[in-house]
Amino acid sequence: MAARARIACLLVPALPLAAERRAHPELAGRAFAVASGPGPRAEIVAVSPEAFRAGVRACSSVVHARAACAALEVRVLSPAHEQAARAALLDAALGTSPRAELAPPGAGAYAAEAAVFADARGVAALFRSEAGFAGALAERARRLGLPASVGVAASRGVARIAARRAAQEDAAAEGAVCVIEPGGDAAFLAPLPLDLLDPDDELADALSRFGLRRVADLLRLPERALAARLGPGVSALLALARGEDHAPPPPVPPSARLEEAADLEAPLERLEPLGFVLRGVIARLAERLACRALAFGDLELALGLEGGGRDARRVGLAAATLDERVVLRLVMLALEAAPPRAAIERVAVASVGRALRGDQLDFFRPAGPAPAALARTLAELAALVGSERVGAPALADDPRPDACRMAPFRAPKPREPSHPGAPGTLAVRALRPPLPARVRTAGGRPSWLESALAKGPVERVSGPWRTSGRWWSEMERFAFDHFDVATADGWVVRLRLDLLTRRWEIDAVYD
Amino acid sequence: MTSPRSPRVGGSPARLEALLRDLGPRLVRGGGEVPAAGCFPTGLAEIDAALGGGFPRGRVSEVVGPGCCGRTSLALALLARTTAAGELGAWVDRADAFDPASAASAGVDLERVLWVRPRDVGEALQSVEHVLQAGGFPLVLLDLCTEAAPPVPAAAWPRLRKAAAAAGCALVLLARRRLAGTFADLALELAAARPRFESGPDWLAGFDTRVRLVRSRTGPREPDVAVHWRAA
Repeated sequence: MAARARIACLLVPALPLAAERRAHPELAGRAFAVASGPGPRAEIVAVSPEAFRAGVRACSSVVHARAACAALEVRVLSPAHEQAARAALLDAALGTSPRAELAPPGAGAYAAEAAVFADARGVAALFRSEAGFAGALAERARRLGLPASVGVAASRGVARIAARRAAQEDAAAEGAVCVIEPGGDAAFLAPLPLDLLDPDDELADALSRFGLRRVADLLRLPERALAARLGPGVSALLALARGEDHAPPPPVPPSARLEEAADLEAPLERLEPLGFVLRGVIARLAERLACRALAFGDLELALGLEGGGRDARRVGLAAATLDERVVLRLVMLALEAAPPRAAIERVAVASVGRALRGDQLDFFRPAGPAPAALARTLAELAALVGSERVGAPALADDPRPDACRMAPFRAPKPREPSHPGAPGTLAVRALRPPLPARVRTAGGRPSWLESALAKGPVERVSGPWRTSGRWWSEMERFAFDHFDVATADGWVVRLRLDLLTRRWEIDAVYD
Repeated sequence: MTSPRSPRVGGSPARLEALLRDLGPRLVRGGGEVPAAGCFPTGLAEIDAALGGGFPRGRVSEVVGPGCCGRTSLALALLARTTAAGELGAWVDRADAFDPASAASAGVDLERVLWVRPRDVGEALQSVEHVLQAGGFPLVLLDLCTEAAPPVPAAAWPRLRKAAAAAGCALVLLARRRLAGTFADLALELAAARPRFESGPDWLAGFDTRVRLVRSRTGPREPDVAVHWRAA
């Protein structure tokens, strides 16, 4: 038998306010409002409780709002902030439940709300009770800067109404919770006003004309007669009032790509102030990743430029990390290396979250570095010297004699000691790039050498050994004659003659 | 009460052989000097004997000498032995001269090596500090052979020495001449090598060098030893 459906709804009643407060934490406790656009004639779309107490109302103009409250701070509505806040709400849900989805946007009086549905089946065992689960959900949202209420019920619609009810009843308190016990949906809905079901304006007027105020009034009437008089829209309202939900449970999200963005009120031309914006964006992204027990993977940085241009770049990370400072340094280094060609109007940072490796120590074998410390160190090293200059050496699958490869460094698992082989092998030091040399030959072999390293007659020489390859490619083909050469001034070097360019080079020194 | 006599080894010679085979590299041959617990041996008997077991953990050591003297060969021997023991090593390569193929020939387990290629001395010193702070890398090699006198601030050495001591890490510096001064607990000076070419046809068979222990806080053992390197 399938488990009975239980759905939690995490709801933010006023998303524009919450999104701005999340992006600008300094607004907390201050009178501020969100306007539909720049300029004094723009319409106020959301008002903080402090501003409301000072007399500022939604739908007024910015001029009128400022007249009511001189200290009012006005922020322009930011789609980027709202989108990020909505995604953060989903992350809060995914931090407690594996299945969650964004709810469809509300309408009418609830147009400003944002909601997420999470699968709440079987959570009582983890959180002691559904109320405990709901509290944990609200707490996670609060940590992400989003004051949210939570409703738990048998269907999406009833859970959303429960969350709305909780927010209305306890408007002052953040994280209000309303749990409808299984089988209690009808009893919960019956006394509620019909407005909570969010009917469209036309239907709401009609219901009002018929004198229907509460859900129980609606359920008492026959559906067919209602549909004949009020249109097909009432059927959906009735299904909601009965707690019917035919949709499948929320899905598991296909990927863990998280994006955080910020619209700038004025274009930035210099990188230094941009650093402050990026710091906030990266910090918010780090909070969301941490909420889902993930860390930063490679970063995608997208900059919206003045004049409509776009600058997109990818910043590689040597290892997954949650260190915001390191990530910010990497991003700033990438920007300093190739500054954007115009002033910046919008910033977006995205990353596919990666799990931090678990640490399993061994009693008898050497413990490597702690995974978190190693990740942080690799990221710091990458920020310092560049991600392409940190890694593990690897043998290149390339016939060129000077081919060299650097693989990502991943701490290998502990293993039993092995035998390294007989010691005393002569090593070479590579010269990157090879050092040009002037060579005199006798009988086709070097007899005198001059370079920045060594100069003088050649005392002993062995070779040549020929290496050639990629003959099919005009650009990549190579052919060298290698010689081991000991010079009179004490150097033992590997000398090569490029047979294509007839140039001599020293590519390694025996040491 | 235990018997004062040594216990008799029972079993057949075949069982003893099997036991010896199973123990493999963990078996320490008797009679010689047992490596100190806090040292990384190079596997080169003469040098390990001179150092009293190997390069000490938690200390700064220097390996210095002219261009072709065997510094890199010695460092790779140390790294090979360390990675074979299951430990991790870091090579901070200011000189950008690390050759993976050469290291693999020397027996280095490349997966266990963190290779950092800083662009200047400042980055190299910071990289070493980051690696030491991470912990888990008991051997860090810093290659500063590029310049005769790399611009290392004097304050760097006490910092690195303190960080190495805190991490219990052997920090080995490769350079043309001594740089760390009194902050190095151990310093080896290698003389210019004499290459050995063999005839018919000519090929570089290896080279011979002499290693002098010019500084040791644990007391000098063997002041001057000969080392023979053979070409891979």
